[in-house]
Amino acid sequence: MTSIIEARDLTKRYGAQLAVDHASFTIQPGRIVGLIGPNGAGKTTVLRAVLGLAPYEGHLRVLGREPFHERAALLNEASFIADVAVLPGWLHVDQAIDFVAGVHPRFRRERARALLEKSRIAPKRRIRDLSRGMKTQVHLALTMAIDARLLVLDEPTLGLDLLARRNFYDALVTDYMDESRTILVTTHQVEEIENLLTDLLFLDQGRIVLDASLEEIASRYAAVAVGADRLPDARALGPFHERRALGRTMLYFENADRAALAECGDVSVPSVADLFVAKLAGRAA
Amino acid sequence: MNEYLWLIRRELWENRAIWIVPSAIGAVMVLAALFGHVDVTLMNAAPQQGALGGVLLFASGVVFLLVMSAYSAWYLLDCLYAERRDRSILFWKSLPISDAATVLSKLLTALLVIPLVYFAAADLTTVVIAFIVSVRARSWIGGALWNPGQWLQLQALWLYLIATMAVWFLPLAGWLLLVSAWARRAATLWSILPPLAAIWAERAFFGTDRLARVFADRLFTGYPGSALRNLQGSLFALFGLPGGAAATTPISVWRLLDPVRFMASRATWIGVAVGVALTAAAIRVRSRAVEL
Repeated sequence: MTSIIEARDLTKRYGAQLAVDHASFTIQPGRIVGLIGPNGAGKTTVLRAVLGLAPYEGHLRVLGREPFHERAALLNEASFIADVAVLPGWLHVDQAIDFVAGVHPRFRRERARALLEKSRIAPKRRIRDLSRGMKTQVHLALTMAIDARLLVLDEPTLGLDLLARRNFYDALVTDYMDESRTILVTTHQVEEIENLLTDLLFLDQGRIVLDASLEEIASRYAAVAVGADRLPDARALGPFHERRALGRTMLYFENADRAALAECGDVSVPSVADLFVAKLAGRAA
Repeated sequence: MNEYLWLIRRELWENRAIWIVPSAIGAVMVLAALFGHVDVTLMNAAPQQGALGGVLLFASGVVFLLVMSAYSAWYLLDCLYAERRDRSILFWKSLPISDAATVLSKLLTALLVIPLVYFAAADLTTVVIAFIVSVRARSWIGGALWNPGQWLQLQALWLYLIATMAVWFLPLAGWLLLVSAWARRAATLWSILPPLAAIWAERAFFGTDRLARVFADRLFTGYPGSALRNLQGSLFALFGLPGGAAATTPISVWRLLDPVRFMASRATWIGVAVGVALTAAAIRVRSRAVEL
């Protein structure tokens, strides 16, 4: 009951093709979950089902509601940024604030104004006259002023420069996130949000291939840098992936004996990006 | 209720042509009245004075009506297509507004808000023109334009037309909304081709023209006859022209309106049923729609 999202055998077909293939996962309150997968893995399809934008098969509850048929009610408590390029160009910044304030019961106008003042965007300007980074700031200000329990972000920083991406996530963490909220985010730039996430969901070809918190990952997975002399010993311990790097080989293990690993080389926790590559390398690229 | 006010306000923000176009028409007419050359020497007899004034008011109203009809049709065909084309649908759908409320707000805008804006613009225009002409001409024609009885009756006529046209053209509006929500490209073509294909198929397979007649009746010939009584004669009477239906005084627009027959007509209610079904289909399509 208390979980924010509960999916069981969530499936989406486009004709004969399975975009999402019996995906099951739950997301608990207060988490920041990264939904990560290669292009075409079905990330956007999962998010659209979660947000009630498309029908689906299987069991799905978001904030206790069936999203497709209760989309409007669900969006009183959930908000999303599908892409930063979707604010209509003809809209003025102050019209956007007025409109959302008019139709959204949990929108706090003063908060949106305060956030926008920080970014120094004149309220009379049209969205189409703003730079991409400014559009993002407007959209983020609108969204962060909504007192939502669940925030969904689909590639929120696509096309933004490094500085704007950093600002986006900084604002999210410092001005928005607290224990009453939950964030589900997809992105290609995993490295940038790695230290922000509490949980990981890897999606590949419509299936969940990893569903774990970062603590679980730290205890479950290990990366070992092995010199050529110890390589046969290390390989005997059953790595699920290996990668050659500057004179040594990185071997990736799941649920392996730590003491045995330590004898072969330097043991570390794999980064999310490395884990992602390791997990998905098995499949034909 | 509040939600609909915001949704309609949103339509007025986005589609500024809703008030710019009628303002421009009004401005052109006012300019014509200011600088145009009006030769009124032909008309001297009293009944014709009244007629000219009435015909002028009526004709300017018809110009507004025709432009309004064309614009409303274009608006309906574009509204649900444009939001997918520029992907803003993903923003609108991130707000707690149902697809039904969104689609109905667009229907209301096309059938009531746009006509009322044009009505207000036409009204303002005729008052200004009447003032200008009476000052310029300082003669009977200005006086004829200041015929409050006739002017008020035309108001009633226009409001009646707006109300009955909203009902009569509901199926057309529903069809345009459905195409707008569904088409992935060439929305205009999609709005025209299926009805033409249906007409062609009927002719090819059954050798009959019933669909063609139904469409033509709905679009062109059916409306005035179903809502107005003895159109030509009544208009003549309204303008006080000879040949009017028993030129009675005081002439009355009420003789022209026929709401009872309109509401009792089978065609009216079939149209409403079809319009409701098509609008419901548009809502259903929009609930599954994302960007193009």
